[in-house]
Order: sequence, then structure tokens, then C-alpha cells
Amino acid sequence: MKSFSLKPFVFLIVCLFFFLPASAFAAPPDEIVIGHPACLSGKYAKAGEQAVGGIEACIHWVNSQYGGVTLDGKKVPLAYKKYDCESKKENVTSLIGRLITVDQVDVVFAPYSSGLTLRGAPVAEGHSMLYMDHGGANNKIFEQGFQYTVQTIGPATSYHKGTLDMVKKIAPDAEKVALAYEDSEFATMVMEGAKTHAEELGFEVVFERTYPKGVTDMTPLLSAMKATDPDFVLGGGHFEDGQLFNRQMSDLNIDVDCLSLIAAATLPAFYEALGNMAEGVMGPSHWEYGVTYSQKAAKERRIRWIGPSQDEFVSLFKEAVGDQDMVPDYHAAEAGAQVLAYVLAAEKAGSVDSGKVRAALGDLEFMSFYGTWDISDSGLQVGHSMVDVQWQGGERVIVWPESAQTGKPCYPMPTFDQKAEGKKALP
Amino acid sequence: MFLEQLSGNLVQGVVLGAVYGMATMGLSLIFGVLKVVNVGHGAFVMVGAFVALFFFNTLGLNPIFAIPAAFAVGIALGLAFYYTAIRKLLHAPELATLLATFSVGVLLEETIKMIFGSEFRGYNWDVGKIDLVFTALPMSKILAALGSVFIAVLLYVWFKRTRAGSAMRSVVEDSQGARVCGINVDGVYAMSFALGIGLTVASGVLLTMFIPVGINPYMGGGYTLKAFVIAVLGGLSSPYGAFFGGLVFGLIENTSYTMFALIPGVEPFALTRFLSFLILLIILLIRPTGIIKAK
Repeated sequence: MKSFSLKPFVFLIVCLFFFLPASAFAAPPDEIVIGHPACLSGKYAKAGEQAVGGIEACIHWVNSQYGGVTLDGKKVPLAYKKYDCESKKENVTSLIGRLITVDQVDVVFAPYSSGLTLRGAPVAEGHSMLYMDHGGANNKIFEQGFQYTVQTIGPATSYHKGTLDMVKKIAPDAEKVALAYEDSEFATMVMEGAKTHAEELGFEVVFERTYPKGVTDMTPLLSAMKATDPDFVLGGGHFEDGQLFNRQMSDLNIDVDCLSLIAAATLPAFYEALGNMAEGVMGPSHWEYGVTYSQKAAKERRIRWIGPSQDEFVSLFKEAVGDQDMVPDYHAAEAGAQVLAYVLAAEKAGSVDSGKVRAALGDLEFMSFYGTWDISDSGLQVGHSMVDVQWQGGERVIVWPESAQTGKPCYPMPTFDQKAEGKKALP
Repeated sequence: MFLEQLSGNLVQGVVLGAVYGMATMGLSLIFGVLKVVNVGHGAFVMVGAFVALFFFNTLGLNPIFAIPAAFAVGIALGLAFYYTAIRKLLHAPELATLLATFSVGVLLEETIKMIFGSEFRGYNWDVGKIDLVFTALPMSKILAALGSVFIAVLLYVWFKRTRAGSAMRSVVEDSQGARVCGINVDGVYAMSFALGIGLTVASGVLLTMFIPVGINPYMGGGYTLKAFVIAVLGGLSSPYGAFFGGLVFGLIENTSYTMFALIPGVEPFALTRFLSFLILLIILLIRPTGIIKAK
């Protein structure tokens, strides 16, 4: 009688043990670590500080109120490991390498800005590490074929759509638009989108020029722009040039019906630096206090809700930054929302394996205090809508879209001479 | 239209150039006397900008009052920096002073960041505008330019008419000879360094009168770069040359934009920077001591 041997089965089991990924057998970890090369100093320190506050606020919410991330029935808390990348590209690459190999984090959150995000993506990709982008809006990041990069912030090409739609609707006579922007990856992509949409709406782009990063005097460019007599101007790039843009438009008496500046105009520091000169200036924002995203709104849209309410988030943010006077802006909100996206995806995947969480993120759609979240196959954020804010009487008012308005737009905005005399941009 | 823009940019260029020139005089003075290249130059400009901000936003005072205060802060910083670091490194390899000035620049940036934070700040000093038909010119810019010219003239008179100025010139000419004649060369070095830093910090106030926004701890980098171009343009070791270099640079920056804008398909701003550095390279190749020789 032929004897039955167990040897082939034992061999097969041993082979499976060696060839299956370790995560297949892994028990849920004691904690899930988010790694972050944060911009705590350097030119993006302001946005970086906000982002860190937003992340810490939402981690605190997940750990204390949500109870942690549920993996295999176990509640796993989130931990946060950050380094200061000093807003420098060379530091981003080395710090991401360190976070992955030395600190062995489970996911890497990208630093602020498109340039820094793009610089770090190949490093994360090389380690097959999930890389979540909360501050890099440039669409080109998602045209490189990265498999592990996903976006929370909306794509740059959509920034000025709302502004253009607003002008088209409330000022049908407006014809000429001028585009003047920083020569950076982000601003270029924003203005590509703006130009395309402006032409679709029938506006004539009468001026389109760039200025270099770190510009200290825009007078020649603005003088040339003035000569084209635009009805409204879309411009900017980051914080510093936005302030300069507005200031020097005032110096040269360039009065237009609407001025919308990316990144700078939505920050309190913009008004603090410019005072009444900032009245009526607009800016697109990913999030503003006053937006109407809530558990109820999610229920009406039949999508899942997660996270703190808007007011809870503000409170958690202030606690996280240790400053009761500091108000979260969209940099904080988008970074915080990214934590919530990761939590839902990890729970859906039942694992912290980057490949599985990435796949789960692809199928995810939810709403939080930040708004809706949904990504395309390439990882580009397609679910989130932006709002346009305008400085009115020293306050930021959401003026577009109409469904999210906290006030009517002031169009045309007062002239710079009127503003110098103290006139406010009130509708 | 072209002539209108060109005229406007010429005027703006002269006004800006005067402030650029003033902002470079300290760099040239320090190099001229001590042969030290202050790569932390922009950080001292930034300190001046924060002095102006503090005067206007916190004390509610006119930024013009911040000029002497910034000068005094600069003198104090310059003396402290000279006696703690530069004095010991004067005879060390050039790299040592380069690294020392770079380190002090970073130290100043981080100190200011700790005190004021990293936000981009500004102040709003509105003293009216002059409408020149082809351009508008805020009075604050005109005052900044006039202030720069006034300080440059004051420095010239001080150099030419005072004993301290003569001592400084003699040390530049021949430090050994000056020492033999009984001049306290070390004292002159300290005074020159402090004066150079004082001028640089004071120029930070004038720059904010020209551009009162974007004030932050890291704003100095761009000014350091421009100051080197201007210093070479005007004669690396001549403070007056630096002033005229600043005027030329301001004019190049503003007027070349209008000219380059005539070329279809190019971004004029990129070309103005290209032109600035091309001029720097050409001057270094054909006249390494700069256009204006030190006296």
C-alpha cells in the first residue's frame, strides 16, 4: 500500500509562509504612525503651522472621540511623527527617507506647496509608501504615474472657476481679464485653468504675464497691465507676493472691478498688513469658517460623514496650537481632513499596508467639516468644491458659490482712492 | 503707450535705485575696509524692516523716526558681532568670515522669527501720492529715495571732512602705514564694521518705506543677491560707487522690463534678471574691481 506523505503539504505551507507578505499575518499594530516633513520654518512656515495644527486637531479627535482606527476589531490610536523640512526641497527628500526607513511610519503626509510635494513623491513611491498630499494643488503631480500619491486639496486648475462664474453672472458687461502670477508650478497651473475657463465663458484675456518667485518690486509688470485696462484681475502665487501685488496696484492707482489673489488674500495676515487697502479683494479658498458642511448635509447626499463639526474642529485646532487667538484657515482644514480620509481608508482596507489603503482610498467618498472627498484613478481630488471669499468691512465673507454664501459680493470693489479715504467694500 | 510706460518705469527705477544703493553702501564699506564679504547682509536689512514695523505698528510712530533707531540698533549689532567673531577671524582664511557672516545671518533670522513669528507682515503708512500723468508715485517712496540720498551725502561728508573719516580712508589706503602714524587700526575696523551694519539696518527701514509689505524673517535673501550685483557694479569696495550702482541697477531692472516686453513670447521679468547677472558677469570679466574704483 502506498503510504501517504505529508511532506508536500508541509513544503507548500513553508513556501506560503515565506512568500506571502508579512502584513498578511500581521496583527494590528499598537499605533499607526503618520509621518510628516512639515514646513515649520522657512517661506511656508505660516501654512505649515496651520497644517500641523489641523493634523494634530484631527488626530486628537480620532483618538479621543472616535476611539482610534478599527483594525481587526481592535481600536488602534494614531501617532504623529514630524520633522521641520524648513520649506526646502532637499530636506523633504531626506526627511521622507528617514521617516520611512528609520521611523517606519505607516503613511507619509506631504509638506505644503506643489513644489515640495512633487519633490517628495518619487521618494515615497520608491518605498511603495502611501503619500497623502494636503498642500500641493498642481495637477501635474498626478500626471507622473505615481501609484501611491493621493490628493486632499483641490486641483489647481479649479481655483478661479468660481470667481469667473461669479463675474459672468453678476457683471455680464465685464469683458477683459488680466492674469498676472508667480512663475511657480502651482500658480502656473491655477492660471492655466483660469485662462481656459475664462475663454469658455467668453472673456478676453488681455494680459498674461508672470513674475519670479521672491519678487520685491512688481511696478514694471503692473504698469504694463494697467495699460491694457482690464475689468478684473486674477493673480498672485503665495503670501508675500500677494501683499505686494495689492500694495503696488494701489501705489499705481490701478482700479479694477474685481481683484482675486490666490493663497494670500484669504489669510488674516493679508488684511493686517494692508488694512483698508485690502477691502473688496477676493481669494479662492478650500475652506472657510461658515461653510455649510454638516452631518445633516452628508445624510441628505447619502454619503458617509466622519470627523468633528466645524466648531469642534476650530476648538480642537486652538487647543492643538496652544493659541486661543489663532484661527484655522484652509491649510489646517485640508490637512485635518486628510487624517480622516486615512482613517476611513485604513478601516476599509482592514490594514495599514500602503497598497491596500491606497486601493481603499480610490473607492472612498465621504463628507467632513472640510467638505466632500473623492479622488480620481490618478489620485487627483475631484470631490471637493472651493469657495470664494471677499474682504468686507475687515471680515472674510464667503461670496461664492451662491449655495455657500455668507454674504453678497461687493462688485465693483471700491477704488484705491476711495479705500484710502476709509470706504469699505460693502455690497 | 510705450513711451508712457518707459517714462514711468524710468522714474520708478531712479527712486527704487536710490534705495537699493543705500542698501548696498554698508556691504561695500565693510568689504572696502575689512575685506570681509558680509553674506548675512540681507538679514541685517530684515532687522531694519522689523524696526520700522515695530515703530509703526507697536509704537504708532512714523517710520522716518525708525531710521536713526535702526541705525543705532545696527551700530550695536555691528560692534557686538565685530568683537565676538570678526575680529578673531580677520586674518583667518576668507572662508571663515564668509561662514561667520552667514551664520550670524541665520541666527538673526531665527531670533526674529522667535520674537515676531514667521508671518508676512506689513504696515500701511499713507502720506498721499503724486500723479505724474505717466505714473503715480506714493510720497512714501519719494521720502525713501530722498532719505537714501541724504544719508549717502552725510556719509560722503563724514568721510571727507572728519578725522574719523580720514582715519578710515587711510586704513583703506595702507593699514600698516596708518598704524605707524598712530591710528588705532583695530578701532577703525570696529567703527567701519559697525557703521556698515548700521547703514544696512537703516536701509531696511527705507526699503519698507518703498515696499511696506512682505516683512518676514526670511525676506533678506533677495536683497543679499541684489546687493552683490550692485556692489560689483559700483566697485566692490566703494560705498559711493555702490550708491550709483544701485541707481544703475534700479534703472536696468525697471526700464529693461519695458524693452523686453516688446519681444513677443518672452517673459520680461525673467530676462531682466538674466540681464542683471549678465552685466555682473561681464563686469567681473573685464573689470573685476567694479566700474567705480575705490578711493
